[in-house]
Amino acid sequence: MGSSEDDAALVARTVAGDRAAFGVLVERYTGQARRVARAVLGDPDDADDAAQDGFLSALVKLAQYDARRPFGPWLMRIVANAATDRRRRRTVRRAEPLDPSLVGGGPRPDAIAVRSELGERLRAALKELPERRRTAVVLFDVEGYSHAEIAGILGIPEGTVRSEVFHARRRLRTLLADWKEQVR
Amino acid sequence: MNELPSDFRPDAELGATLRSALEPKDDHAAFVARVMARYDQALARAMIPTLDVLASWFRPGIAAAAAALIAGFLLGRAVLAPAPTSFDAALAPVEGPGLAALVTAPDPPDASVVFTSLVEQR
Repeated sequence: MGSSEDDAALVARTVAGDRAAFGVLVERYTGQARRVARAVLGDPDDADDAAQDGFLSALVKLAQYDARRPFGPWLMRIVANAATDRRRRRTVRRAEPLDPSLVGGGPRPDAIAVRSELGERLRAALKELPERRRTAVVLFDVEGYSHAEIAGILGIPEGTVRSEVFHARRRLRTLLADWKEQVR
Repeated sequence: MNELPSDFRPDAELGATLRSALEPKDDHAAFVARVMARYDQALARAMIPTLDVLASWFRPGIAAAAAALIAGFLLGRAVLAPAPTSFDAALAPVEGPGLAALVTAPDPPDASVVFTSLVEQR
């Protein structure tokens, strides 16, 4: 999750008006913020807008950050909230029914495009999961946050995080197993 | 929900697959530049609402203070104004003998006399 001490020092420099220090923080957390926002929103462009909103919102609130705590979860909470706000604000688009071939079954994938097809299937499967569940599993399995940290990020009890990760994994592992079966 | 020990650790295979599915395709540096391009704007925008909030607190504060001042002045004038000592004095014009009688009256007026004279006039 990066060095907390380094993060705290960068935050202190940013609060003192050091623009370059904020640039280092953005550089360090860009990948993570964009992935988390995409887990919430699905659409990559919306996700980038939300990640950007999150960074700039964090910049404005930086004086409120408690340097004794790790910076990553604090930032991810802001990014996840920015993504959720954006999802609520954006014009309601009718959820397109998922192509059954993307979620399971369907024709045997073309060997050339297997990786990209798996990515498509995973994104489609993630979209099927409730927002909190898919965010929790991405924060846990992709970003490596602990259950306690995710509880802080999402503002839910730790037990609920464990349950959300458990159910998301069960769905995604089934999908992965099906996919492996197909490409074998 | 039966938890296994592995439930407390990230699933490396699932994590890597999900990461590749969620990984943005475009340039990381371009995104950083895009955020940094709005650095000044974000800080400036954060300042404006703060000033607006302070101004919005300030305006009603001034209005409330002015209203309290006027109310206090009017109340004070009403309380400090001398009460008329007799019915005639009260009805007398502000200037003239009525006012003089009011100022020079040695004793407060007798209420029974005032009311009796009022009844008799009818």
